[in-house]
Amino acid sequence: MALEKREQRPVAEKGEHIIARHLIEDENIKEEKNLVIDGVDVSGRWNTFVLSRVNSEFDRSFFQEIKKTVVGSRINRCWQCGMCTASCTVTPLYRRFNPRAFIYMMQLGNLKELKKYIDVAWRCVGCYKCSQRCPKQVNPAEMMEALALVVKKYFPEEIATKLKLDEEVKKIYEDMIIGHGRLDLAKLHTSAMQKSGRIKELLGKIERDAILKMAKDGRAFSILRLGKPHNWGKSKEAIEKYLKNINTIENSGTGGLNG
Amino acid sequence: MAENILVIGGGPAGLNAAVMLSELGVNVALVERDSFLGGNPKKFKYKFLFPDMQPADNVIGELIKKAEAGGSIKVYYSSEVSDFKENGKKFDVTLKSADGSETKTFDSVIVATGFEHFDPARDAKYSYQLFDDVIDIKDLERMMGENNFVRPSNGKPPKKVAFILCVGSRDRHVGNQYCSRVCCTVSVKQAIEMREHFPDCEAYIFYMDIRTYGFFEDLYWQAMEEHDVQIVKGRIAEITSGPDNTVICKGEDTLLRGPFEIPFDMVVLASGMEGGPQSPEMSSKLGIELDEHGFLKPENITLSPFKSSKAGIFLAGACTGPKAISDSITEGAAAAMNAYTYAVKNR
Ligand code: SF4
Ligand code: SF4
Ligand code: SF4
Repeated sequence: MALEKREQRPVAEKGEHIIARHLIEDENIKEEKNLVIDGVDVSGRWNTFVLSRVNSEFDRSFFQEIKKTVVGSRINRCWQCGMCTASCTVTPLYRRFNPRAFIYMMQLGNLKELKKYIDVAWRCVGCYKCSQRCPKQVNPAEMMEALALVVKKYFPEEIATKLKLDEEVKKIYEDMIIGHGRLDLAKLHTSAMQKSGRIKELLGKIERDAILKMAKDGRAFSILRLGKPHNWGKSKEAIEKYLKNINTIENSGTGGLNG
Repeated sequence: MAENILVIGGGPAGLNAAVMLSELGVNVALVERDSFLGGNPKKFKYKFLFPDMQPADNVIGELIKKAEAGGSIKVYYSSEVSDFKENGKKFDVTLKSADGSETKTFDSVIVATGFEHFDPARDAKYSYQLFDDVIDIKDLERMMGENNFVRPSNGKPPKKVAFILCVGSRDRHVGNQYCSRVCCTVSVKQAIEMREHFPDCEAYIFYMDIRTYGFFEDLYWQAMEEHDVQIVKGRIAEITSGPDNTVICKGEDTLLRGPFEIPFDMVVLASGMEGGPQSPEMSSKLGIELDEHGFLKPENITLSPFKSSKAGIFLAGACTGPKAISDSITEGAAAAMNAYTYAVKNR
């Protein structure tokens, strides 16, 4: 066995020596790689400090703030049954997108927890399935809008650094809105399946049977009959104008919960 | 000759049984251990009753008035059954009070000895009677009844109050596995009352399940939707004292996972219902069965919940298990009907 002398001793990963390290979140470990106190080298594990993960505050001012918004006015109704999450279009694709849990975090003003989900918090596609299912008429779909406002107001830095826009998805949305004046769920679903390489599943027996059945009982036609919204031309113009100016608006920093 | 029926216990069930029997012309002996009628609702000064928030006096007061109106009901205050013997199909009973005793023969007997509020001091984790600001639902009911809702520690109105459900219920550790049925509803009712009187006092309810069964559910919805009462899922495992004269509730938020330690101005424990010492006492004196929860055991819990294990002795109200006042009143009437039928048959 050959011995190798190193100039520097290897530096351990942050918190590496902690037993059950997997139970502790990274940001809760405070550890300086190089630290000398009064001439004593206390680098690495000798200065490790683990922050308590005990939650010691319910911040209702935050709840009140949400409740005052139009989209968040029913936050007090949610009793955490989870029917929204269970019916959500997005959750199966992004497991960490959980409308129920987000609403709870907003109820208790738990921004610390919310912060962990900034990357997915804005993923709601506005299909309103959750609002259709919700037994308390919380309107969770709109609560997700409140959530987006919250995220925008309280974590501007994280948004600027962590959020990466999925150009492909963005394009699907824009085409759909401008082309049809509304989100087309079937098309959205198809695009999502296409994107995740599962297009074949769309043509399975169950799907074919469903389409046939819907064609027979007329449901398929009622969906096709859905036209563009009334006076669509004007709205379309406005949206196009908005999309053109979106960067200026986004960067002006005026967005707030009530703004 | 009119029948003679003994009713033991002057709470909602016993009162209604006595009143119904007297309307049938029966001679009723109503035995009450306290110096007043009305049972726990009177003793602890319940103020408003769920589900419709009517004043407790409209119900209990009304029954007491009827029972005390004279007629064929004789009330024995501060009294007890000191001796009980079967005499054929009838019963020879000695009633004892400070003034002496009296032995009479009765055609049938209704036991309506009710429940006792669980004493939270028996469960050390809640620090009841250790910190002034930890009270229970009966204390709060009394404080509200006396229009004196303030923090016991300093006489000031609280700004943040926690309600803790299932205290003394659904817990092997204290020996009570059953659900006390009414404490969820009482707690949401109290949270509503509190928010109505003190809109700037926040109310949180720590729960495992919220069991506001039937129409009591309306109060639960109201508490959240009209009064912003916040529910938090997780049972409190410990109450300690905190800075600035607060009490800290330690628990786990089971929806988000992870522990919390939240300071409150006041904590209200939803202590449950127990059979109390009176249930085993009745069981041994009258020779009727006790169940595994410490309440009196009905002959058949579904078919004849108002019959004891012994013919001629009937049961009504919370002595057979936790229940709401309205259910106790219903059972009082059912037991009266059965006691009357038995008496008439064996005349
Ligand atoms: S928003 Fe509605 S569906 Fe979702 S958890 Fe709350 S009550 Fe249930
Ligand atoms: S509206 Fe948003 S949160 Fe609701 S089901 Fe659709 S994607 Fe999910
Ligand atoms: S009624 Fe509610 S608080 Fe009372 S024991 Fe049952 S679940 Fe617990």
